[in-house]
Amino acid sequence: MSGYIEVGYVIVLGSLATYATSLVGRERAARRRLPSTPADGDAAAAVRPDAAPSAGELP
Amino acid sequence: MRGDRAVRALGVAALAGMIATVWLGLFVTPNAVGYADGTVRLLYIHPPLAWVMFIAYGMATLSSLLYLWPRTRHARFDRLAGASAEVGVVFTGLTLVSGSIWGRTTWGVYWAWDPLLTTTALLFVLYLGYLAMRNVPGDPDTVARRSAIAGLVAFLDVPIVFFAVSWWSLHQGPTIDLATRHSYVHGSMAWTLLLGFVSFTLTYVWLMVHRYRLAALRARESDEGLESALADRWAEALQ
Repeated sequence: MSGYIEVGYVIVLGSLATYATSLVGRERAARRRLPSTPADGDAAAAVRPDAAPSAGELP
Repeated sequence: MRGDRAVRALGVAALAGMIATVWLGLFVTPNAVGYADGTVRLLYIHPPLAWVMFIAYGMATLSSLLYLWPRTRHARFDRLAGASAEVGVVFTGLTLVSGSIWGRTTWGVYWAWDPLLTTTALLFVLYLGYLAMRNVPGDPDTVARRSAIAGLVAFLDVPIVFFAVSWWSLHQGPTIDLATRHSYVHGSMAWTLLLGFVSFTLTYVWLMVHRYRLAALRARESDEGLESALADRWAEALQ
């Protein structure tokens, strides 16, 4: 085989592995900053009745 | 939790598929007639990368449409569009790199201003611009709406890239012709290529789950930061 093929595989798989590792790392870091995060992480859209008052309610 | 276990199983399946694809692609499948030095082995990663690129941009566009549609407008579709576009950009970059390497071994050059290559490079730049636009500060709904429209505009290039391979290009025709259901590869080559498509698709889904979770966590972090600032102001005002 020519070296080109091996280099192609290394670049593609290495880049995907790096991207995947960075995603998992960033996700873990974000979870650490939010200690009570639900597993699906999709709590941003939830409306919490006990949350602090909104901007419109500020005195 | 069950969701986490499913994602982990998905990751293991994607990784196992990738390892099998690499092993079959590099060491088991035969060299094809007309290809020097086994360069055809890039076949098992280059078309699957391009395939995932199309899936990713299709998903980003569908999510953008759902966000723009008033009845289905929800922040989750905006996050889904952003996540899929980012993963799509990674796969587009890798499609361009693997294609360039293949071009060097067959055409003698890394790059040619061929319509397929040029429109794919344009697609890469368009979606990079889309990702940059998502980071422009502003009201979240305005940013999401603006991004969704930009995503739809960027998607206009996708069918051109898809059909350029058949219309006009230095690039060989499609390896598997969907219209006539004719495949130009057979036996172990065809199975390895199919495994490549499946493995890269599973990898895309796994990356999407993590990228989406990250976006959701950041949105929550931003909401909680705002809530905390509002609570502080309330406390100050009531003193």
